[in-house]
Amino acid sequence: MNRTAALDRSEQSRRNSRLPERLATGAMGLFLIVFALLCLFPFWLIVVNSFASTKSLALNGYALWPNEFTLGSYRFLLQGKQLFTSYGITIAVTAIGTLLGVLVTMLFAYVLAHPKNRYGGILSFMTYVPMVFGSGLVGFYLLVVQWLHLKDSLWALVLPYVMNPFFAFILVSFYRSLPYELNESAKIDGAGEWSIFFRIIRPISTPVIATISLFYALQYWNDWWLSLLFIDNSDKYPLQLLLRQLMSQMQLSSLNHGNVLTLPPAEGVKLATVCLTIGPIIFVYPMVQKYFVKGLTLGSVKG
Amino acid sequence: MRVMKELIRNRGLYSMAIPGLVFLAVFSYIPLAGHLLAFKNFQISRGIWGSEWTGLDNFRFFFSNRDWIQVTVNTLYLNALFIVFELVFALLIALFLNEIRLKWFKRTVQSVVFLPYFISWIVVGYMTFILFNNTDGLINRVLDMAGLQAVDWYQTPWVWPIILTLTRMWKSAGYFSIILLAAIAGISTDYYESARLDGATRFQQMRYITLPLLRPQLIILVLLGVGRIFYGDFGMIYGIIGDNGILFPTTDVIDTYSYRALRQLGDFSMSSAIVFYQSVMGLIAVVSFNALIRRIDKDSRLF
Repeated sequence: MNRTAALDRSEQSRRNSRLPERLATGAMGLFLIVFALLCLFPFWLIVVNSFASTKSLALNGYALWPNEFTLGSYRFLLQGKQLFTSYGITIAVTAIGTLLGVLVTMLFAYVLAHPKNRYGGILSFMTYVPMVFGSGLVGFYLLVVQWLHLKDSLWALVLPYVMNPFFAFILVSFYRSLPYELNESAKIDGAGEWSIFFRIIRPISTPVIATISLFYALQYWNDWWLSLLFIDNSDKYPLQLLLRQLMSQMQLSSLNHGNVLTLPPAEGVKLATVCLTIGPIIFVYPMVQKYFVKGLTLGSVKG
Repeated sequence: MRVMKELIRNRGLYSMAIPGLVFLAVFSYIPLAGHLLAFKNFQISRGIWGSEWTGLDNFRFFFSNRDWIQVTVNTLYLNALFIVFELVFALLIALFLNEIRLKWFKRTVQSVVFLPYFISWIVVGYMTFILFNNTDGLINRVLDMAGLQAVDWYQTPWVWPIILTLTRMWKSAGYFSIILLAAIAGISTDYYESARLDGATRFQQMRYITLPLLRPQLIILVLLGVGRIFYGDFGMIYGIIGDNGILFPTTDVIDTYSYRALRQLGDFSMSSAIVFYQSVMGLIAVVSFNALIRRIDKDSRLF
């Protein structure tokens, strides 16, 4: 009996008999659907309630479907200055940080991965250590504030994240997969390493560089740790810190046991701010999601 | 000097690593000097080097009250909860997704469960607030409608390790399941084919092929988590709990504690003593777990 016939037969028996297995698969599917809905649920609550009127929020709290809709919160936000300021800060930090981060990391990773690099081992080790050993909050704080004098400067939000070891290693595993002959042939033409990199290597690594750029952009967009440490001036609040300030006021209000009508009227404004903060991410997510998956897949190859 | 010769001969190549090295040195290695402050009485006017040595006074102070036990225990057990539940849950999602044959279904679920990974902890903290806040949180309203007693979640410390773990699972299931699915996709289909020929059920294939072959990947993920077991997830804890002191007994971790010592009390020496203690314990953890894993499974070790 040949192999395909056997496979056919086992395939057939799989289809016919295994009712319990099909039930099991169904249960798994159901589990996945339930979890997927749970993943979407908080997003739904935030988005739909950001359109709820103050009265509706006060009476029903955060409802699955508000009684009364309004654009009031958004109108209020767009009239003020703070949202635009914070948006500008976040966009600037994200753009500059991503550009700088990608440039520095891709060059560094290229050297790490280069077969002619004799010090690859020690360089990798140096890059790896910060991933597991904390350099310490206090030293870091003093470095930025006292030595670099970056208190209340946007550079304090950009520079510390420029060199990210994890992203560097993703790039390293990609560069290692490239055939070294590409470099060799260019070398014979007399090209230096920098021009080999920018003329040959960078163009063929566009997809993985797109992935890394997205990782960087996400990191900068979502960060509030650096601004919490270094930004006190509200003219320089990025979006996430703005949200955090709104929230910390809110948590105090959560502690007083009033009746439902004492709900702070600014609730809708907070919800709208959250929507505008995550809006761009949700919006580009369907298009960029596959790049993230690719990046994680590359990163999971050990080496 | 052989090293110098080599560096000069390939200067084009090595010079590409300079920007990355500079960022690594400045932001990951120079802050290490901050650890010195743990042994000094820091005064801003005199700087790190000028401040006087005080031996172990800062540590005596840190260890004199019982806070250090609480934050250490919290850090360890919260991280342990996170590592275990996060990975087990993500593993389930990955295994289930792998059993689903409908391409579009698989793709959709995967995109949806990956979505929470893309939002900041501040936003997640807000979502938690919407669900759990005392007066008009969704959960209390549902309890109310069901005729049950509402719970003052934000004043009930013991539930928060559970809520935090669930939140963590919710946020990272997509991320880890993608890494695991990539590893599953790398398993040769020959194994499954011959297993089917021998009449193995899908469940048996999962149990005896997929799981054992995922072991290296799982060990790496556990190790990365265990290596950082002394580092609390500041973004998560501070984003969700904030400065709500009532919840500190179960949620305050070393990182939030040292942050408050630094930014709210302005006590640099005390904060650096905590951070120094954390770095040393973290180093011991990663080295000993690496040694342990080297004994169990040589190929999975980190270094």
